[in-house]
Amino acid sequence: MQLQVNNLTKIYGQNRGLTPTSFAVEKGELIAIVGHNGAGKSTLLKMLANWIVPDSGDVSIDGIDLKNRAAAVRKIGFIPEDPNLFDFFSVEYNLKLFAKLAQTPLLRVEDILTELNLLSFRKAKVQTLSKGLKQRVSIGRTLLASPSVLLLDEPTSGLDFETTREIYRLLNTMHAAGKTILFTSHRPEEIKNLATRIMVLHKGQVIFDGLPEEYFQSDIHAELYA
Amino acid sequence: MKNTLVLTLNDLAIAVKNKTLVLVLFIPIFVFIALNLVDKADVEANIIKIGMLQDQTYPAEMAQSIEAADQVFAVTWLANQEQALRLLKDHKIDGIVTSNEDQPNSLALLVLKKESLHTIAIVQSFSALQKAVEGHPPSWVSQISSLQHSSMQRETLPTWILMVILLVGFIILPAQIAEEKEKKLLLGLLQTPIHEAQWLAAKLITGMALAVTATLLLHLLSNVWPQHIFSYLAFILVGSFCFSAYGVFLGFLCRNQASARTLGVIVYLPHLLPSAMADVSQKLTAVAPLLPSFQLFEPLQSILLEDGSMASRSFALIYLLLLGVVMFYLAYRLMKRRWLM
Repeated sequence: MQLQVNNLTKIYGQNRGLTPTSFAVEKGELIAIVGHNGAGKSTLLKMLANWIVPDSGDVSIDGIDLKNRAAAVRKIGFIPEDPNLFDFFSVEYNLKLFAKLAQTPLLRVEDILTELNLLSFRKAKVQTLSKGLKQRVSIGRTLLASPSVLLLDEPTSGLDFETTREIYRLLNTMHAAGKTILFTSHRPEEIKNLATRIMVLHKGQVIFDGLPEEYFQSDIHAELYA
Repeated sequence: MKNTLVLTLNDLAIAVKNKTLVLVLFIPIFVFIALNLVDKADVEANIIKIGMLQDQTYPAEMAQSIEAADQVFAVTWLANQEQALRLLKDHKIDGIVTSNEDQPNSLALLVLKKESLHTIAIVQSFSALQKAVEGHPPSWVSQISSLQHSSMQRETLPTWILMVILLVGFIILPAQIAEEKEKKLLLGLLQTPIHEAQWLAAKLITGMALAVTATLLLHLLSNVWPQHIFSYLAFILVGSFCFSAYGVFLGFLCRNQASARTLGVIVYLPHLLPSAMADVSQKLTAVAPLLPSFQLFEPLQSILLEDGSMASRSFALIYLLLLGVVMFYLAYRLMKRRWLM
């Protein structure tokens, strides 16, 4: 078991958030987390990424407790919906800053720039880039430390068709390279094309956890997109 | 340590990019233009604390009248000149009255600063008392001397230095921290194996570097330097540490830049005004020591204007240091809880 989640809970006011949730993830799974807005999808990912402190519950990644943040961050990478980069600096500066802090060799920055087709943008300030390019830089930054588990919060939200396809290609490449991926999405075609497993959240509870075929034949899918 | 250095350099680069550094450089220049325009304050009609020496022979009528005028003067009889000077430097008394040996039947007044509203108030009170008792000149106070012999630039320098240190602590740092929270940059940095304390330390060092740079620039422009350089440096460093830590804590109380700036100004002004204006107002003199800013301002003033040293100001130094540590710890706790992130 690569990722083990036990009774993870976060309750905001008006009963929003995530009720006690438990599940396990095997290495190499590509899981789509779906649900309406406010269902708890982002809250779940942010707790796994250490962005939000849970009210209760435990998470372990490759046997490392998430509370041991310094060790856990080497195992898990989070790509938020809105890229959180230092806008006024160049792509290269952003990548090098995170490489230094992640204690990754700076040569890895060159690999990332090449892998993600960012070489021609290396000197460009992030604030001048399109959202799709920023998303690629954000993914590149996360990949610098070679985490085994990747979390993506609505990775194609607000992107055009071409850029969305580029992100799909990247996800498939990372999956083929053995990464475990969890992503949230509202797009049925995205879920169908990418996911090897689907989790549905509704009002902070997991109401479905199974294979894509089962999900698309179930009433839950029909109700979700009714 | 390496991570802290990398983060500090990053923070300094941010300070350049978001024009923070321009603001820090602008203030000292603004200060020296404003110096020529600033000349107003209010004189408070409060009781004046006068020190008189037991080993002095005062003209009997004058001494009796001063003691009797308890609505105007509060007289403290002191054993010797040394004790009196200490109380004057510590702002426990407003002036020392001795008999003027050069001119019989008159008094000599020793104050901290001759060209101040405070001194004018003292002389006015003596004049009013004399008029009530004798009804005619010559004036009882025939000689006025002061401990501080300095230019306007030197006299006002502690106020500007306090302004700059508080500006970095209460306005610049909270806004920068709130921005990093608002744009989720801090959470991004926490995706790397850095420790929360390293990030906080980088912010603290950035704040201190900005405050010390601005202070240095003020000294270079005015060409005014303290006699006890180590005492002075200790207070500048500890003061910038204290108020930078305070600012880091304030930053964690805010969700975005706008609220950080607002909170910063709300905290900035009360800290600045009583400390900087305490010298010209007795009411403010009573309130000012309650503020942390006074624990920096008063020693800076003492060292710069009265050649004071750290030895008699250890309480203020420890106070600032402890307050800084407490603020740093509170900021650390809020960061661990991902407060308003």
